[in-house]
Amino acid sequence: MADQTSTANQWPADAAPYDLISPGRKRLGWALMAAATLGLLATIVLEILYKTDTDTIGFETWRPVVYAYVLWGVALGIGQVLTRGEDGQRALFLLPALLFTIAMVIFPTLFGLYIALTDWNLSSFSGRKFNGLDNFWQMLNDPYYRNALFNMVLYVLAVLVEYVIAFGLALLLNAQIRARKFFRVVFLMPLMLSPVAVSWMIGKSLMEYRFGPAATLARHLGWENPAFFSDPITARISVMILDAWTFIPFMMIMLLAGLQAMSREVLEAARVDGANAWQTFWQVTFPLMLPVSVTAVILRIIFKLKLADIIITVTSGGPGGATDSVSSFIYREYRDRSNVGYGTMLAMAYLVIIVVFVTWLLKFANRFVRNVN
Amino acid sequence: MRVDLYEKLVRAGATRRDILKGAASMAAMAAASGAGLGALTRPASAASELRAKILQIPGVGKGQPTDADFQKVGELCLDATKASVKEGEFAGVELKFMGLNNQNLHNVLFRGFLKPWEAYTGAKISWIDLAQADYNARLQQSIATGTVDFDIAEMGAPFEGDVCGKGLTSEMPDWVKKQIDIEDLVNYLKPPVGTWDGKQYRVTIDGDTHNFNYRADVFADADLAKQWKDGGGAGEWGVPKTWQQVQAVTKFLKGKKFKGQDVYGYLDAPKPWGGFGFYFLGSRASAYAKHPDDKAWLFDADTMKPRINNPAWVRAIQDVIDALPSEPADQINADPNTTGFQQFLAGTGSMIPWWGDIGSNVKTNDSSVVGDLCGFDILPGSDDVYNSKTGKWDKLPGGPNYAPNLAYLGWGVYVMARVDSDPKKQKAAWSAAAHLGGKDLAIWTAMYPSGFQCYRNSQHDIEEWVAAGYDKAFITNYLDSQFNSYNHPNGAIEPRIPGIFQYYSAAEDILANTFAGKMKAQEGADAIAAAWEKLTDQIGREKQVKLYKASLGV
Repeated sequence: MADQTSTANQWPADAAPYDLISPGRKRLGWALMAAATLGLLATIVLEILYKTDTDTIGFETWRPVVYAYVLWGVALGIGQVLTRGEDGQRALFLLPALLFTIAMVIFPTLFGLYIALTDWNLSSFSGRKFNGLDNFWQMLNDPYYRNALFNMVLYVLAVLVEYVIAFGLALLLNAQIRARKFFRVVFLMPLMLSPVAVSWMIGKSLMEYRFGPAATLARHLGWENPAFFSDPITARISVMILDAWTFIPFMMIMLLAGLQAMSREVLEAARVDGANAWQTFWQVTFPLMLPVSVTAVILRIIFKLKLADIIITVTSGGPGGATDSVSSFIYREYRDRSNVGYGTMLAMAYLVIIVVFVTWLLKFANRFVRNVN
Repeated sequence: MRVDLYEKLVRAGATRRDILKGAASMAAMAAASGAGLGALTRPASAASELRAKILQIPGVGKGQPTDADFQKVGELCLDATKASVKEGEFAGVELKFMGLNNQNLHNVLFRGFLKPWEAYTGAKISWIDLAQADYNARLQQSIATGTVDFDIAEMGAPFEGDVCGKGLTSEMPDWVKKQIDIEDLVNYLKPPVGTWDGKQYRVTIDGDTHNFNYRADVFADADLAKQWKDGGGAGEWGVPKTWQQVQAVTKFLKGKKFKGQDVYGYLDAPKPWGGFGFYFLGSRASAYAKHPDDKAWLFDADTMKPRINNPAWVRAIQDVIDALPSEPADQINADPNTTGFQQFLAGTGSMIPWWGDIGSNVKTNDSSVVGDLCGFDILPGSDDVYNSKTGKWDKLPGGPNYAPNLAYLGWGVYVMARVDSDPKKQKAAWSAAAHLGGKDLAIWTAMYPSGFQCYRNSQHDIEEWVAAGYDKAFITNYLDSQFNSYNHPNGAIEPRIPGIFQYYSAAEDILANTFAGKMKAQEGADAIAAAWEKLTDQIGREKQVKLYKASLGV
């Protein structure tokens, strides 16, 4: 077995160990990588400096950079093997992931940051103009953006209610009830639907003011004008309900998996010790489920921070911005006003807020779970 | 219809929808149109055999046309193409067509119309379908990023500044002008509309102006007339002719019943709609803001200073705020699609401004229950009009000021410049555009749900409409509302300046907040003005001034 392993880890005969690589070969490798890097940087700089009216950002004009990037990747691979031998060959395995990350994460982020510092409206005759922190100051003074952030706080808080409902459903489906399989499928169905479809089915049809069954029922129950989306408070609650209806099954399925993974002996021991159902839940089930609960809640909050589709479909952020989420607000800034510079600044700021918030949330959750357990 | 008769029918098992569909309120119609009962269907001597034939597909009152109908009509209208293109001449040519799929119209019809054209010419067309609210964004991104990935575009005149102004469109060849009979266009759609720097780019397929659609039966109702009089309403109960009357009627109808149902007056569309919703405030404002002595009404022509926060526009915004409590409870969430197709055609509300789609849908759209109950007019006027030059409200000696909102100037088909490098492809693209802009096809699209209205003088032949199955009084009333708006001497002109939809969209968002009570009318208007000023500076003030003046013909 040990022999087989050592054989498997042997490199091909033509792979040179590091200390046997000649200085000339190393120099060639370094020169190749340096030339390719300089070539790539020069192409990017030229691309940025090269201004032709407004058409400076289409794929066509960025093609040289793409070619330079591919060549740089190839040169990097060859250069690693030339300069580091076996180690360089191992590094080749990381190269595709590295190139992908640079192309799909690092470059768009840097480019986005650059766009956020420009005054770029798609209709502008002069294309992009660098305007420093103007967009940032505008954002700080933008009441609509602040309003959208405030709405996000409310939407995120709604996750706690969703969690309670999801936990209840998970407990129900974990119990020995009739037609358990049937209910599991039924409760999961909303998760299989597109939020846009849900918005139309429920928001635009079921809750429609004049003919919607929900509105009719509300009238029978004494609500004179059940215009769910016309009052700021009911509109917010309605959006929360639509969103919850779609995503509660997601939390429910995670919690159900957690419940089913729990040791039956622990529960039986609690019963033998004389604990009733209420005590068993609070003293045993809930604490043991905390790690799963925290994971479910954090994932749900991350989904919630991206909430946009339901709002765009049903309310367009109305009435008077009462239901606007940050994502739907940014979407309109791009889509309706073609304000790419300012829209990107809003998106970047939101990215920072999310990263800071989620990082804090993870730390807080870890501490909370440790303290409870 | 009298209430007792209505109740009797309901007891007999009829639904409200059945009654509304079947209740051809001739007396109301006659009262509304000022005309007597129209002649029943008879052959129109003026209509050509072909036109008469296509207008029977599927036939007025015989349900909504299907894709098979579109194809049939497209095939019958192919003669003009056959005169300039040989069979199979465009084999191997592939074209990309970008347009709307709004209401399942526009591109949905084009596909059917162009299928026979594809079969005959050998060209293949692929489609980019866009929702109305996404249209502006998609177009702007294509322009700005240099990724125009379509050969033909359905586009409105307001975008000509963005597209033709940047050299992205192909100039119309002379043979196309001849094929589509360009001289047949109504005057307000003739150059400069469809042109840029003197070159013709657009095949017009639609005429757009907002007209006034109302429920004739509501305004002919004796019970409501009595209540109006008893309540001290000014003048006789009837169709409002001014916005002041619209406001009064809307407030009066709050809480009233008509035919056993809640009745509402005017329907506003406060919810943003990708910029297109701003036209509906424009229609409320044009009579206040468009002075007969001044062509400009949105901006000062010399400075591009917005007029949106002047007393005229603020009054229009305040009108919406004042009227909303008298409108359906969820009106704050209604966009124009809702007011036109889900409310008015479905029997809710008694007055809306809209493009001519309402008139061409009331009798031919399956969801309409108001086919025989509608009347039409140009937009209401105003007892006084704001004079931006003097800063005062003027009362005109001739009575109320009328200023139809020439909103959007209709859809057109534009061929993109990227086909110019390939003569075969260029001819194919223009041939497809010319087929859609054909004279015979135009009369069909004006009569059936299509998204398009009259845009040619030849479409004003009443007898042709009557022969197709329309009631004479109804169609005279409808066409008059359209053509009297087109030809009105004080039309409020649509500016064809770059970024116009960014202006409209910015306004929509602020208006939505204003209508929701977050700010006062003047504050909202001031916020819009500030946003517009910023946008003008972003786009380039000097150029905008020049282009705005050009669009006004100043």
